[in-house]
Amino acid sequence: MTVLYNDPTQFREELIEGFVAAYGRLVRRVPDASGVVAAQPLPRSQVAVVIGGGSGHYPAFCGYVGPGLASAAVMGNVFAAPSAEQIYRVTRAAAGDGGVLFCYGNYSGDVLNFDLAEQRCQAEGLKVRTVRVTDDVASAPQGEESERRGIAGDFFVFKIAGASAARGDDLETVARLTQKANDQTRSFGVAFGGCTLPGQSAPLFAVEPGQMELGLGVHGEPGIQSSHLRPAHEIAGLLLETLLANAPAALPPRVGVLLNGLGSTQYEELFVLYKDVHRLLLAAGLTPYHPVVAEMVTSLDMAGCSLSLCWLDDELLPLFDAPCTSAAYTKF
Amino acid sequence: MDTAAQSVVHRWLAEALVLMVEHEAELGRLDAAAGDGDHGATMVRGLRAANAALAGATGSSGQLLQQAGAAFADAGGASGALVGALLATAGQQLGDGPCDLPAVTAALQAGTDHVARLGKAQPGDKTLLDALYPFLRALATHPPDQPLAVAWKAALPAAEQGAAATSSLVARRGRAAKLGARSLGHPDPGAVSITYLLQALLATEP
Repeated sequence: MTVLYNDPTQFREELIEGFVAAYGRLVRRVPDASGVVAAQPLPRSQVAVVIGGGSGHYPAFCGYVGPGLASAAVMGNVFAAPSAEQIYRVTRAAAGDGGVLFCYGNYSGDVLNFDLAEQRCQAEGLKVRTVRVTDDVASAPQGEESERRGIAGDFFVFKIAGASAARGDDLETVARLTQKANDQTRSFGVAFGGCTLPGQSAPLFAVEPGQMELGLGVHGEPGIQSSHLRPAHEIAGLLLETLLANAPAALPPRVGVLLNGLGSTQYEELFVLYKDVHRLLLAAGLTPYHPVVAEMVTSLDMAGCSLSLCWLDDELLPLFDAPCTSAAYTKF
Repeated sequence: MDTAAQSVVHRWLAEALVLMVEHEAELGRLDAAAGDGDHGATMVRGLRAANAALAGATGSSGQLLQQAGAAFADAGGASGALVGALLATAGQQLGDGPCDLPAVTAALQAGTDHVARLGKAQPGDKTLLDALYPFLRALATHPPDQPLAVAWKAALPAAEQGAAATSSLVARRGRAAKLGARSLGHPDPGAVSITYLLQALLATEP
């Protein structure tokens, strides 16, 4: 259940207000828009990385705004893409002379609205490039990678985009490296319980006791397949096998790892699972690099988790290593 | 300017909001079958925004529809962008001209074609187009001098049947497309809600 709200229709507005009140040292509200920009102004020539999507996924998206990460985040209503108008206003507030990279999960509503905003910006002479995150292997088969939806892989793709922009790379380079980060990231998840929208009394889908859903979405979309609930070590094996069966071809064995909690799965459960994930990664000949076991892209109060791997070649590694500061993720 | 037609846009969208609130939970359930369950809420939010934008607004029906469409689009989501564009494009096509059957049919056709381009969708993809195109085809069978309300009422079952028939389709566009076969057996919530929007115009008849 989503318990804490006043008026469900004001959920987004109130969460933005609270977030800005709490993290005013990192972000400020864009006046008259549903979004935040980094409090610390960027050098004028720096590419502005604008991310966004529906609310309900904290720390995606506002929690990723800060030095070395995103320049701004546009926030839609719960599980609904932000409108083109809001994207445009936030982009205008964030953009300098270096152009803008739009980076967001591949969902029809986000694509529609970001594309409309992009056309409007381009018409005004502002250069915009777009990279859509498509890491979820459950959402389309191999050969149709660009059709896949974006889930927790956002974390790696945003990190690389923000680091490349902060390094002073030009727009074409930021876009190329961000696309590469996306192309080398894969995720797969399991759910043990559905999530409930603010103001609703029933979850979007229910998982039967003793069952789990494989290949869930991060909007309470049901999974692609139901299965009986298994011990943690078997779930670790299942997640990793699925990712490795969908791995990008011929890359060095060093991988960034994110074991992501979806909202109501405890961190300590995630560590229990990670113990086996780590062991199995090593057994598969992979080298886990700075693993993250945390909630990085949630789905309200959904129970479950996803595993993401980002193959870090020599070009991506220094960007993944670069320092950043944000409410969600800080690297020294 | 046609003041009677102006108030039709106001009354239509007010009626559409009432109807959509009634069906909000049903649309949410349909959406949750393969999507994210927010379709009813998004349509209600869009119509609230459209009604708020029209409060006190004057102008031709075309102008009012454009204002309503922009406000609807700003409510966000895929449905916001698509239905907002449908209203705004129809309003543009209608301009300051009359609201007779040929003009309204042409406006709805322009809006629907624009939605198809925006959403990169075709009939049969399990979207709102599967209600709109059958409705347009049904409207086209009526003589141009027939009263709009008569033709509209007669064409409505075509939209309803089109929406119901999406149950047997597998989604190829939109979020439900990611779940393929899970969308089978449920009508597309967008096709159902657009039918309510069309239906609401009938309630504006004096």
